[in-house]
Amino acid sequence: MGNLLQILVDALSLGGLYALTALGIGLIFSVMRLANFAHAEFITCAAYALFALSGSPLVMSLSAAVVVAVTLAILTERVAFRPLRDADQATMLISSFAVSVFLQKVLIFAVGSRAKPVDPIPALAQTFMIGGVQIGVLKIVTILTCAVLLLALLFILKRTRYGLQMRAAAEDFTMSRLVGVRADAVIALAFLLSGILAAVVAVLYTAQTGFVQPRLGVQIVIMAFVATVIGGLGNLWGVVAGGLLVGMGSSLLQAFLPPDLRPFREAILFLGVILILLFRPNGLFPSRGLKERI
Amino acid sequence: MSTPMLSVRAVDARYGNIVALRDLSMHVATNEIVSIIGPNGAGKTTLLSAIAGLVRPTHGAITFDGQGLIGASLEDTVRRGIALVPEGRHVFAGLSVIENLRLGATIRKDTRAAEADIQRYLDQFPILRERRDGPAGLLSGGEQQMLVIVRALLSRPRLLMLDEPSLGLAPKITAQVYDIIREIRDDGVTVLLVEQNAGRALSVADRTYVLSGGEVRMTGPSAELGKDPGFEAAYFGLGRGVAD
Repeated sequence: MGNLLQILVDALSLGGLYALTALGIGLIFSVMRLANFAHAEFITCAAYALFALSGSPLVMSLSAAVVVAVTLAILTERVAFRPLRDADQATMLISSFAVSVFLQKVLIFAVGSRAKPVDPIPALAQTFMIGGVQIGVLKIVTILTCAVLLLALLFILKRTRYGLQMRAAAEDFTMSRLVGVRADAVIALAFLLSGILAAVVAVLYTAQTGFVQPRLGVQIVIMAFVATVIGGLGNLWGVVAGGLLVGMGSSLLQAFLPPDLRPFREAILFLGVILILLFRPNGLFPSRGLKERI
Repeated sequence: MSTPMLSVRAVDARYGNIVALRDLSMHVATNEIVSIIGPNGAGKTTLLSAIAGLVRPTHGAITFDGQGLIGASLEDTVRRGIALVPEGRHVFAGLSVIENLRLGATIRKDTRAAEADIQRYLDQFPILRERRDGPAGLLSGGEQQMLVIVRALLSRPRLLMLDEPSLGLAPKITAQVYDIIREIRDDGVTVLLVEQNAGRALSVADRTYVLSGGEVRMTGPSAELGKDPGFEAAYFGLGRGVAD
């Protein structure tokens, strides 16, 4: 029973991280129909900012991570995506791929490809006991942070005028411009939020793994893409559910598979993904309005 | 008549190699209802799109209040006082009715007055109040048409452009929509209307342009056009009727 609690906490904290990452990708997709591979490097670069500032006060390193990820996100939009906005969707996809590979190579060139130790928030390394079970403070903080961010995003999208404009742009981009929604502003806002999410994921993920390397973001983002696809691209709630599902699935498999089978955890997880897509090709929660932009 | 509110002069527009508008000139004066009629593919929608900034003409000039419109960004069209209700209605289907209406007031700074306007329209169209918090996509075709017209009016346009507002609507609902269009003009808004239903258009419009093959085939006061023997031929692009 106690063990179960521990497993559940593990599953939720990993699921939460994937959900935040998937949400960062889903936000951009919903307004631009762009699957942004460079999201991985938003996370990686924020993680390196944490590494570069390890030892300095928490406020500084954490805000540096946010500033780096957000700046990178906004810059990428300006340089790599805005000029292509009227181009084919595939063109933008390739462009995001190019940005992703480019940033990865720059990181390898600048800091090397070997993993470096990083511990962004040492205070979270403690554990506490509940009913005779040891629970990591970090895991609980991760779960709480994910929940708070999801609620904050929900508030922005549902209760503010910019959130409303974003949802309108996601539904019908051209019509939203015709009522006066500024396309540039809405897209910049999506990238801003996506950058913040990437930075938070970088902090929580490196706090869990304890190291940073140039492909750190890619590992998370690949799982997040899987999550967005099974959740249903273009539907933010589906994306969050997909992230939770993939993270929890992966974590639960790790816990309950017989030891000999554990190395095949991901293979089994992806088998499940394939099965889901065979029966629900548009994901578990397909979006109603996933039509082409006029 | 002084300079018209909207003036389109010698405009060419094309989609790739297909010419959609050819040397087209027309104008709309303040507080007129002007209709554009013609068969499918005549260029009617392209004309509205060119005015709204959705399509960039390859030649010619479009001015609104004497200011050039070509090259202006889409989101500035409504800020200049031109609202477009595109063909097919385009409600934000997943958003609620009230959210659709609030989006109509996106450009307004006078939030209080805008909210009061929304309430006034909800009083005027009780069905919208009833469905206020439900998704707009679940409204009937006629209700959606009312919603997008009201949404467009909430930007307080001086020129309202409607593309086939009766498309797919029952005759009774169409009649209601046309009553609303008359009221809109009585409230001081100029209306440019695109229709395939020539009878409807002629009955409401002060002046009408007949378009075919991307060119103006005939134009004049609606009352005279209907009686003109060359009207049908012009409508179907058979001859080059001249009525004025």
